[in-house]
Amino acid sequence: MREGMSSRKKIKQGILYAIMGLVAVYTLFPIYFLFVNSFKSQKEIVASPISLPASFDFTYLKNAAEQIRLGESVVNTLVITVAAVVLIVLVSSLTAWMMVRNKTKGSNLLFLCFTAAMLIPFQSVMYPLVNLMENLGLKNTGGLILMYGGFGLSMTVFLYHGFFKSVPLSLEEAAVIDGANIFQLFFRVVFPLVKPITATVVITNAMWIWNDYLLPFLIIGNNDSKTLTLSLYYAKSLSGQYGNPWELIFPAVLICVVPILVVFIFLQRNIIEGIAAGAVKG
Amino acid sequence: MEKYYKKWFKVLSLPAVILFVVVILVPFVMGVAYSFTAWRGSYFKGSEHWYGALIGLKNYIKVFNSQKFISAFLYTIKFTVVAVIVKNIVSLALALMVRRIGKGKGIFRTIYFFPNLLGGLAMGFVWSFIFQNVFSMMLFGEDSPIHIPFLTNMLQDPNKAVFAMALMATWQTAGYLMLIYLNGLNNIPEDLYEAASIDGATAIQKFRHITVPMLMPAFTIVFFLTLSSSFKMLDENLALTNGDFGTRMLSLQILLTTRENTPPNYGMAQAQAVIFFILIAVVSIAQVIITKRKEIEA
Repeated sequence: MREGMSSRKKIKQGILYAIMGLVAVYTLFPIYFLFVNSFKSQKEIVASPISLPASFDFTYLKNAAEQIRLGESVVNTLVITVAAVVLIVLVSSLTAWMMVRNKTKGSNLLFLCFTAAMLIPFQSVMYPLVNLMENLGLKNTGGLILMYGGFGLSMTVFLYHGFFKSVPLSLEEAAVIDGANIFQLFFRVVFPLVKPITATVVITNAMWIWNDYLLPFLIIGNNDSKTLTLSLYYAKSLSGQYGNPWELIFPAVLICVVPILVVFIFLQRNIIEGIAAGAVKG
Repeated sequence: MEKYYKKWFKVLSLPAVILFVVVILVPFVMGVAYSFTAWRGSYFKGSEHWYGALIGLKNYIKVFNSQKFISAFLYTIKFTVVAVIVKNIVSLALALMVRRIGKGKGIFRTIYFFPNLLGGLAMGFVWSFIFQNVFSMMLFGEDSPIHIPFLTNMLQDPNKAVFAMALMATWQTAGYLMLIYLNGLNNIPEDLYEAASIDGATAIQKFRHITVPMLMPAFTIVFFLTLSSSFKMLDENLALTNGDFGTRMLSLQILLTTRENTPPNYGMAQAQAVIFFILIAVVSIAQVIITKRKEIEA
């Protein structure tokens, strides 16, 4: 009887593993596909898209790196992403902390405004925003960072707000009595206590900004100082009059994906746990 | 302490308030106002100021008479219905499976989640090749072992393209949504199932009467996320079909309106943007209210 149960269980587990394995293959297939086709000529890509390349020829990757001006694009994307994420984290965490500690009407109203703003889609404000930024002389990388700061604000304040509630007030009082000023109080006592949600905030915002296409497209367009995704878009749309130049597109996409892949391999545990923590609170 | 915090409240929340006002509030109010004007982007037709170029509801009337807008509106709804259903079923199924296996939970979780980090535009280019060449010619084409006409040339037919885009969007987000469902499943106390087993409940009864009601909070979040992301989808639409063959969704429609008229009709684009906002706000609020009520009932 008992043996029968366990062999039935084994079959069940076997079926589950088979299904999940198939889904995993399906999930990884486009990545494999992207990888193998980044080393092939246009002819080889079209003739045999699924097989491994006849030889690992790096000329296509080199060509793509030149076309999307890899060095500059990476630096631009990195500067924008890092600056915007730092801005979002600093501004949102301070505000959320103050909101939790001040239960006044003004602070409640502010929280309501930030939360309600999550319903506003980017497309609803993009044209007036670009207009406004142009008039303020901010239609550039600096302006782009500020705009990401504004759009990242709502969600991030909301997430921090939920976490600061669990920081005990007595801890803060003790620090103030010991003579800490407001910034020491925040950065030495309060901020380290909410590290898990900071991880979530950094990951979600960094991924969004790194991959974003529309805002850089509207603000930077086909100028210098393009981001990676924007360079990729222009590389494809400007060379695509005679069908798609896949021997350029695949290696260019691979170049955009590799930095994320590397970061993910090193930080996968933190990333998955951080995302899960944020999703529950959100 | 209260006074201490009060003193610093205004100073420390000022940067956030400034960012919010400049980046969201002012453009939002401008946008609503401009949607009633003859706005051409860099100037207002017939006046130096927006209030001199007011044309009443003309932009909105034009929008509702525009074949392109109506088509994009209906297509967006069609896509959203399909995408929300498919994403929910797939991510819940993945969560249920990952929970039940013995070894390798972590690896499967990691693999399924990974596509979520990749850019929609970049991976959209890859998927467009997969749909055009691999699906249409190698796997499901006329000369291939399994000929499935529905899976060929999916990007050139509006009905098939809904599923092509849903397939890619599910590939991207199912792993992330699975994490939310997994969390919900982990919060269900084991003894509920044990008690049900003692009472002789079948697996299906347990799923219907324990799992589903206890999962309602996770369902609210997943439903909200899938609904709004499907409504707003742009990158995948642009990369896969470029909105051709009647596959244009609202985000792309708003973006292209200023390019398809000379002089560029920003007023009309902005009227669509305001309608887009109302649509998303109403649907999101209604959804949260309804699923919250279900949570309480459960």
